[in-house]
Amino acid sequence: MLEGFGPILRKDLRLELRSGESTVALVSLSVLILVVMVLAFGPGGARRAEIAAGALWIALIFAGTLGAAQALLAERESGCIRGLLLSPVEPATIYAAKLTVSMIFMAEAGFAVLIMLVLFFNLEFGGGLLRLVPIFALGMLGLAALCTLLATVSGRVRAGAMLLPVLVVPLFTPALIAGSKASAAVLAGQPLGAVTTWLKLLFAFDVLFVTAGYLLFEHVILED
Amino acid sequence: MAEIVLQAQRISKFFGDRPVLNAITFAVSAGEAAVVVGRNGVGKSTLIKTLCGLTRPSAGRLLLFGREPTDLAGVQFRRIGVLLHQTLLYPNLSARENLEFYSEIFGIEQPAAHARRWLGQVGLERAAEEPVSALSRGMEQRLAIARAMLADPDLILLDEPFAALDADGAALVAALIRQALARDAAVVFTAHAPLEIAGVELGLFKLESTGLTPFDEGRRGALRSLLRRL
Amino acid sequence: MKRPASIVLAVASCLSMLGALFMVFVYVPTEADQGIVQRIFYFHLPCAWVAFLAFGMVAVAGALYLWLGHKIWDDLSYAAAELGMLFCTLVLITGSIWAKPIWGTWWTWDSRLTTTFILWLLYGGYLLLRAFADDTDEIARFAAVLGIVGVLDVPVVIISVRLWRTIHPAVLLTRQGEHGLQDPRMVATLLVSLGAFTILYVWLLWMRLTTLRLRTRLAGLRREAAILELVGAHR
Repeated sequence: MLEGFGPILRKDLRLELRSGESTVALVSLSVLILVVMVLAFGPGGARRAEIAAGALWIALIFAGTLGAAQALLAERESGCIRGLLLSPVEPATIYAAKLTVSMIFMAEAGFAVLIMLVLFFNLEFGGGLLRLVPIFALGMLGLAALCTLLATVSGRVRAGAMLLPVLVVPLFTPALIAGSKASAAVLAGQPLGAVTTWLKLLFAFDVLFVTAGYLLFEHVILED
Repeated sequence: MAEIVLQAQRISKFFGDRPVLNAITFAVSAGEAAVVVGRNGVGKSTLIKTLCGLTRPSAGRLLLFGREPTDLAGVQFRRIGVLLHQTLLYPNLSARENLEFYSEIFGIEQPAAHARRWLGQVGLERAAEEPVSALSRGMEQRLAIARAMLADPDLILLDEPFAALDADGAALVAALIRQALARDAAVVFTAHAPLEIAGVELGLFKLESTGLTPFDEGRRGALRSLLRRL
Repeated sequence: MKRPASIVLAVASCLSMLGALFMVFVYVPTEADQGIVQRIFYFHLPCAWVAFLAFGMVAVAGALYLWLGHKIWDDLSYAAAELGMLFCTLVLITGSIWAKPIWGTWWTWDSRLTTTFILWLLYGGYLLLRAFADDTDEIARFAAVLGIVGVLDVPVVIISVRLWRTIHPAVLLTRQGEHGLQDPRMVATLLVSLGAFTILYVWLLWMRLTTLRLRTRLAGLRREAAILELVGAHR
């Protein structure tokens, strides 16, 4: 069922290791967004945890939408997606592989942003940062699931690359709400046990949209 | 009776309101070869894309190995090899890596050895480690043909395989086609001028905006002097 | 297309809407706490019902298009989206008009309005996609997938927004009226209004669908003409 997953994943990672384009673009973009937000809101203030959480999620959403589109766009360049379509590989497997690549890109951006957070907020969050990781992992999975499914719009429609965030962000709002609330709580010192409702919501979101993406991808990837 | 590998029944394709393919009826059996000749822009590429199941026809019916393309299990795609205008090669991977990748996803055992063998078959051993973006057009074309044929498909569709090739390259491709026919594959390819392949009985067809028609025998005789021999 | 159906729908819609208007402005008693402005609720809620119904139709019609392939399902999906957007906008406007005299602000972030706003954004994305892209099979399929994903999202949005609002009780504004309909006349009026708006929606949907089907048919005729021209030119 998932035949071809390994080769596609390895191929994409190898390509990225060589050119590094996507990583550089994503990391720079997310760090820049974070910087802008910190400058806009000021690093101090009593509501630091909430601002930090919000800034993180905004940075990741915009970098993430870009990143997922990149993962798929690599194939568009030489029309290579057709090579995959004309092979025994099932479209759903292509989805799974692209989703994984997107997650890896987003994790890179997330990691860079977390490091910047530590620098800007002077390590005051301590354990809170570690507790952020599962929250972010769940959030990014949902974002990657949506973006990978809808990324084909970028190549096919006028102003498609701009349309992708417009489509994805409203769909992502439940996860955004859950993720930023949980992040704010955790950065304010609360344990993960206090945010289980939000975590459950994120998990349900992920299961729902990864499954939907897996089943629906074949309809968006076929040509006219 | 050889298996009818591909059957097109009154296939039409529109892009918007513009007709590109009009009521194409065409069939090819195992071990048969056909060339579709047409001027530039008449729809040869669209025809190949439609016949391999990549593009859905606006009307008509396509049967590959007796089944509709949507009914084909992924496995069946192993039996189809396609060369398109786009090379379907990853520019930042080497020639060898490209063939290895495709060997892997086509489920071929020992993909590395298989890739090396095909690099030899198309004369690209020395350029094996070069990234595809550094290859000349002719070398890229040969690699793309290797990509199309490496799974030993039963149906081979090639869009202008002889374009961009020098005499050696063309002879190589002709040899590959002969090899494929010898193992009972069906080969359909397009060209912008009529041609012949030595030792191969080639069905000649003409593609025009009004449809696909076979060259009749009388005209074929007159064309002999114009035919490019391979 | 079918004349009798559109006439029946038109008549039914006019009559039911007249009935609803009568009941809202004459029949139903004024609500004690909020006064006359509460009557807008009898338009506000039915519009919300239609907005969500239409969204469901967008997804179901889209799924049918993916399954069956007949263009009419795609046309239905698009028509439902356009009308859904219209009614969703009306929900937000009526909600705003209702909010101002009651709470003094044009907008409140209470859970229902917020959910409707997100629905509005989902509709907007769908319609932008359709507006930017050509009318091809590829795009129709993509739109269908978008619609399905959207409808799957709606329950999650509802849950998350509700949770979001309950965490900030200081800003929570209860909306009176939905669960506190004491007078049976109020319930009756609401039901009639719901019915009237649903019929209105169906009528408008029918008309819009007819237009889209004609457009599809026209495209088909143009293609036939192109072929005839081609064949004729080669004689």
